[in-house]
Amino acid sequence: MTTNATPPSWAELALRAFLSERDFESASGDLLEEYRENIYGNRGQLRADVWYVAQVFGFAWRHAGVWAVIFAVAFLARTAMDWHMPTADFQTRAAVSTLVGIGIFLVTGFWAGSRSGSYIAGAVVGLAIGTLALPIQLVGAGLLLAGSHDPSVLTAIRSSGGLEEVFTMPLMTVIPGLLFGAIGGVLGAKTRRLRTSGDALSP
Amino acid sequence: MADTLGVFEQAVMLAIVRLGNDAYGRAILNEMQVRMNRDIAAGAVHATLNRLEKKRLLASRVEPGTPIRSGRARRFYRLQPRGVRALNDAWNAVEGLWRGLKRPLKRSLQTQRGS
Repeated sequence: MTTNATPPSWAELALRAFLSERDFESASGDLLEEYRENIYGNRGQLRADVWYVAQVFGFAWRHAGVWAVIFAVAFLARTAMDWHMPTADFQTRAAVSTLVGIGIFLVTGFWAGSRSGSYIAGAVVGLAIGTLALPIQLVGAGLLLAGSHDPSVLTAIRSSGGLEEVFTMPLMTVIPGLLFGAIGGVLGAKTRRLRTSGDALSP
Repeated sequence: MADTLGVFEQAVMLAIVRLGNDAYGRAILNEMQVRMNRDIAAGAVHATLNRLEKKRLLASRVEPGTPIRSGRARRFYRLQPRGVRALNDAWNAVEGLWRGLKRPLKRSLQTQRGS
């Protein structure tokens, strides 16, 4: 059965963020064709939409998953250092880890914007990285705590901000991820447009 | 050095061989799902096609889309000589590993090793 039904527009928008212009055209067309010709008729609107979103999630994981893991590992490394190698100078550590985080979101946002030409691609990728990293960070912090919680470690945890900070920080990084991803994305898309118009002008 | 193919890459390339001139993204995905008898993520096939094209094992051409795709272009793939070589090498490697063994392997082999 064929239909003119359309998948969620936000999911299509998100898909654009993970692909180049060249790939978006064919990949989104393939998904749309399968959605209309096969999935929608067999599963109905709601389950077809869930299928489409799951496919977009697959693209997101393949393009942003590595960065999400790097971001989560950086967070967990900082947490482990605070717990096992306490320092009086937390400011320097905080500055370094904050710069690493911002750097990841800016670079991936720029990359997404310059690849897709979309101004919002960076924001979508930043949001995806922050969200995909979230469960890794929470489970990782839980495992760190389960693996070592003697009195000296508990003292170090308290003096570095406490457990509450460790388990709420990943949630709070999603918004800066979106923000810095967006900045990188706008710069990337702008650079691409300048480059393309320069190419068009050159003899 | 010859290109070494993983199982998923071989599945993608063999789907292209089977589909001939009709080998575009969705058709490749469906062919693989039938052959491998499982659901496969479109993203996995797309990433593999891109990788194989970058390695010059595949080439692609774009054709206009149909109304069901809202006019979005279709990208058709075909094997390059280097891809054909890589597929043949993959088969030879597997055949060499199995040569001289009776298939299917009997469960008794496992117990002999364990005892």
